[in-house]
Amino acid sequence: MFRKYRKDISGWLIMLPGIILFSFYIWEPLLASIVMSFYSAKGIRLERFVGLQNYIAVLNHPDFKSAFSNTFSYTFWSLIIGFLVPIILAIILNEIIHFKGFFRISIYLPNVIPGLAVTIMWLFIYRAGRTGLLNIILGNFGFPPQAWLTKSHLVIPLIVLFMTWRSAGATTLIYLAGLQGIDQELYEAATIDGANIWARLKYITLPQIYNLARTLLILQIIFVFQVLYEPLVLTNGGPNNASISLMLLVYKYAFEKFDYPKAVSVSVIIALVLIILTGLYNKLVKENEM
Amino acid sequence: MFRSFTKDSGLIRTFDLKKPSIRIIYIILLIISLFIVFIALAPIIWTILSGFKSLSEFVNEPKLLPSSYNIGKFIETWKTLEFTRFYINSFIVVIGSIFFAVIGNGLLGYALSKIRPRGSKFIYFLILWSLMIPATTSIVPLFLNIVKLKLQGSFLPLWMSAGANAFFVILYKNFFDSIPQSVIEAARIDGCNEWSIFFKIVFPLSYSINTVVTIFTINASWSDFLLPYLLLNNTGKETVMVRLFLFRNSVATDVDIIRAVTFSIIPPIILFAFFQKYMREGISNIGVKG
Repeated sequence: MFRKYRKDISGWLIMLPGIILFSFYIWEPLLASIVMSFYSAKGIRLERFVGLQNYIAVLNHPDFKSAFSNTFSYTFWSLIIGFLVPIILAIILNEIIHFKGFFRISIYLPNVIPGLAVTIMWLFIYRAGRTGLLNIILGNFGFPPQAWLTKSHLVIPLIVLFMTWRSAGATTLIYLAGLQGIDQELYEAATIDGANIWARLKYITLPQIYNLARTLLILQIIFVFQVLYEPLVLTNGGPNNASISLMLLVYKYAFEKFDYPKAVSVSVIIALVLIILTGLYNKLVKENEM
Repeated sequence: MFRSFTKDSGLIRTFDLKKPSIRIIYIILLIISLFIVFIALAPIIWTILSGFKSLSEFVNEPKLLPSSYNIGKFIETWKTLEFTRFYINSFIVVIGSIFFAVIGNGLLGYALSKIRPRGSKFIYFLILWSLMIPATTSIVPLFLNIVKLKLQGSFLPLWMSAGANAFFVILYKNFFDSIPQSVIEAARIDGCNEWSIFFKIVFPLSYSINTVVTIFTINASWSDFLLPYLLLNNTGKETVMVRLFLFRNSVATDVDIIRAVTFSIIPPIILFAFFQKYMREGISNIGVKG
């Protein structure tokens, strides 16, 4: 009897430390968020069940509307600015034979720099007045200095711009791996058939990385949807809520107003959107594998 | 440039390079690549060089580069901001995190790959989902849990958080899947229990995967700031990133801040310089397997 289960028992014992850590850091907090979102609280102590009141209060607050539409705006701009860049970079770099390693290393370098350090770097680049890097460069062409981060219609694209600067290199490497996985005989055959370079790009390269691009598209949306510390550090959500994101709203509820139930209500809403996106992602990955 | 040179990958082939027009395209692509590298590196280099400016130079003069290069300015900032202390704290966080990342995730990956006790499929399923549900959405209840356990102001919760990394578990599981089951079975017949199989047989075979996990853990825990900020702020245990985040509300001058950014990006850049091959391989795996 015992022998029969020995393997199971020792297996679960080995998994135990990991399961405890995952429960503590990921699974339990997720469930706790859901529970807490239905309660009122005093500080960190839950008081009584209030049903959907937290959600209603959060949804009716004007900050939520800004944060919600801004989060979509972040996603939109990240797709406009950031989605095609890595694909184009990968296709170009895949053609280059000279200094191959140097190119790959350089484009990946921004990715190893801590996100907070990157944000502060760009704070100086976008700085108002004559001495911000962007204003110095534009000043050489005769443009007057601008207070970039106070322009509400520009602030999100400007944030997305440096998010792209930071992460495009890593994504490019993923596409490069995909491009190298393409069966080279396809190109040989196409060349013999007289297909020119544009035709090869259109009929071989792009269709071959289509699935990968679709997967990375979803991953990018999931990633950008959680944007938090770029606006937190750069603008603190301003000017006038123009760059506040949903995660930043969670942060403000939790760690500025100490209203934990409202904070978790917003994070549950985020988690719901992300779960839908994740389901979609898993479906696409499964299709890719088939 | 093109004479002794075959190109048998990508769109452009050796055959195409006989045509002058295609050679020009190749050279244009090369120039574009150099430009891309410039974009990737320029902000970093500008940040580092700006640290050599004096305060009045940095705040008043719209110039790209400093007028003199005196390393003493960096040393002065290092001393006044007491960076030695923050470096030591960050190193403590990093070392403990490596331990938990390798052992915690490794054991879980081993059990899921080689022991597979009844019910472990469910754990694997949960881990796959955790990969997609971002930790930041449940930061509030996690923070409250840590407060309830009175672990605020301790490094322990930061170390342990590295042990709950779904991506590493999957990386380990995939790696262990490639170790032949017969090796494990032989050890079992010799009377080894699962713990000693893991530590004496599997672990020494896992040098390459342990290196990848270690490098990514170093980078991630060095760069992390939200949880360290919530747990360590005002305890004397602040890490480099926490200090950097606090600059927003502190009296440090702009040049001090930009020098501190340099201090915070140097360790990751050194790490990358030595291990860039592992990091680039890791990033390709994230995309393909994630």
